[in-house]
Amino acid sequence: MRYTSQRVAYPYFVVALLLFGLQVAFGLLAAAKYLGPDPLLEVLPFDVVKVIHTNLLLVWVLTGFMGAAYYVVPEESRVELYSPRLAYVQLGLWTAMGVTAVVGYVFRWTAGNKLLEQPFPLKIVIVLVMLLFLYNLGMTIRAGGRLTTTEGVLVAGLATTALLYLPALFEWDNYTLSIFYRWWTVHLWVEGVWEMIQGALLAYLLIRLSGVDREVLEKWLYVIVGLTFISGILGTAHHYYWIGVPRYWLPVGGFFSALEPLSFLAMAMYAYYAMRRSGLAHPNRMAMHWTIGSAIFSALGAGILGLAHTWPAVNKWTHGTMITAMHGHMAFFGAYVMIVLGMITYALPGLTGRSEDSRETACGFWAFWLQVAGMFGMTMAFATAGITQTYLERILGIGYLETQLKLQVHILMLVATAALFIVGVALYLWDFFFLAGRPVAALPGERLAAARPTA
Amino acid sequence: MSKRAARAFFVVGTALSTLIFLVLTVDSHRKIPALTNAAAIDATVIEGKDVWHRNNCINCHTLLGEGAYYAPDLTQITAQRGAGYLREFLKDPSRFYSEERDGRLMPTLNLSDQDITAVIAFLGWVSKIDTQGWPPRPILVKGSAIPGALVGAPAPTAASNDPIELGRTTFNATPPGCFACHSISPNVNVVGPSLAGIGATAATRIRSSDYHGRAKDPAGYIRESILDPNAYVLAGPTFSAGGHSLMPGDYAQSLKPEQVDQIVAYLLTLK
Repeated sequence: MRYTSQRVAYPYFVVALLLFGLQVAFGLLAAAKYLGPDPLLEVLPFDVVKVIHTNLLLVWVLTGFMGAAYYVVPEESRVELYSPRLAYVQLGLWTAMGVTAVVGYVFRWTAGNKLLEQPFPLKIVIVLVMLLFLYNLGMTIRAGGRLTTTEGVLVAGLATTALLYLPALFEWDNYTLSIFYRWWTVHLWVEGVWEMIQGALLAYLLIRLSGVDREVLEKWLYVIVGLTFISGILGTAHHYYWIGVPRYWLPVGGFFSALEPLSFLAMAMYAYYAMRRSGLAHPNRMAMHWTIGSAIFSALGAGILGLAHTWPAVNKWTHGTMITAMHGHMAFFGAYVMIVLGMITYALPGLTGRSEDSRETACGFWAFWLQVAGMFGMTMAFATAGITQTYLERILGIGYLETQLKLQVHILMLVATAALFIVGVALYLWDFFFLAGRPVAALPGERLAAARPTA
Repeated sequence: MSKRAARAFFVVGTALSTLIFLVLTVDSHRKIPALTNAAAIDATVIEGKDVWHRNNCINCHTLLGEGAYYAPDLTQITAQRGAGYLREFLKDPSRFYSEERDGRLMPTLNLSDQDITAVIAFLGWVSKIDTQGWPPRPILVKGSAIPGALVGAPAPTAASNDPIELGRTTFNATPPGCFACHSISPNVNVVGPSLAGIGATAATRIRSSDYHGRAKDPAGYIRESILDPNAYVLAGPTFSAGGHSLMPGDYAQSLKPEQVDQIVAYLLTLK
């Protein structure tokens, strides 16, 4: 950490991690409901638990991105943040929005549009927060007069994230049109501009952790982001196949979705290359774990497991089964959870004024490996459930309810591995809140000559 | 490759993809109304869509295969269940399903009659969207894991001109979706009563004192049940409500007379 104002990242990380903890708790509850009977049927039914689980994911990952951006941008532009006060106001508004949304869902206040369930007033708050955020970043970069490729990609990813939220503000009488434009937000976020953010954070972390030449890494960052958009924009088509659109979306979706793994594979190769060049010498080995983990898990979860069901002839049978959940869980974990946890782990020693190797705790290692093992097991459980469901329900034509009863053994495995995962998350939170120390106190404007062994 | 070339790859690639995507979007936006029968979207359908959203349905069910995976897909539900059935179901799902038996139950939503009418109209509109042939086979809520229920059979097409064969084909097609509620195995009541041995049952029933219909023989009874389900109402929680059958009442309009004859011929063969 080189600039005092980078410390605004810390409260963002606090909020992100608390919401992460809440998200996985609701996830476990949702999984348990598959085992039935459900004692909470009329109090907290599945739909409420599920909407909270997915919305918390979006909110906390975005909180993590914001914190990460506030950490990265001053350092890259070599200037203090334009307004830390504005950043705190933004966090307050954002957190209030998130908490209101969750409480609202419990009391059935919802817009009911998948993943964009936020009621309209809250959507306006989201837009406002994004504008505050981009203004603060923009003014910082302007003051610094320096825009690196890495931060350029990061900020462009965040700005387009805000832009692509705008279609969510419109309502359509035709349900097909409302699905059509919903994917402009949801798909183009997670398989488009969020990958830009992931790529930029990955580049930043690899530059810092491996010490490989920035010019080389930033050149490949362009290639990765280029591959992401070439495949991802037209890859939106794989959400369009069966919703009432012209037939040409099927070949378009099949072809471009098949290219989507390329950008993730490129990221994995990128990380491998950087690590080979540097020999894994950086003392913050936990940050290294999460960074490499993100590159590998996103290649598996988003790349390979996505490809497993986007080909139209396959998707015709698997569409709307647990196969989608298989892909979704590992993809989000690999691409976005791990990169945010990587950024937090990397930033912590600087934020708390401790040595770079201070994150190498037993707790930290267990947190990593239990999450990795738990998520791998969950993905396998979703996959076996999804394959069985596709075969029984879609191919043999057995009823939905009878099929669900036959999936119980896979759901048991899901609950068991989810429990492992949650222990991993709990350990990460424990490490962050109780072992990592508190942010260093410093007067506003004071430059921190950090007590760090490496620059 | 230089950094400049890499940047050009990114800029040009993204711009081209965006351009193609926007062109396809404009074209789709113009064609979607025809593909979705948008002319049929009236005030009730729109109201039904709002009911669908307000009640967060998408976070348990899928519609057009999109949503959550905790409850059945509803894309074709109005083709598989009559409006009478759906109305009674939405008023009190526990009358039709139980957590102990089926593992899942929908919570009671306390919808008004108007809400129910609207959401059924909305789902009816959805069922007619051109989905490019999805789902390739009907997705059933329940049933069909039953010997003799044509499990795994290809999408029905008649193998011959035999009326019985044609009737079997129609019975298993959607619409009319007879098979989605009626099992042909003995004692298996999916939603409507099992049709195993319906010929013999009909012969007894038309002789019984509580039968007031006009049928004189089993074939006549079956035909009457299809065309006028209220002619003889069978008691049972999923069969009828308030003395009215929950079976769709519009088969007199939607089926051709020869199709009815063929279904009757087929059902008479069930022992």
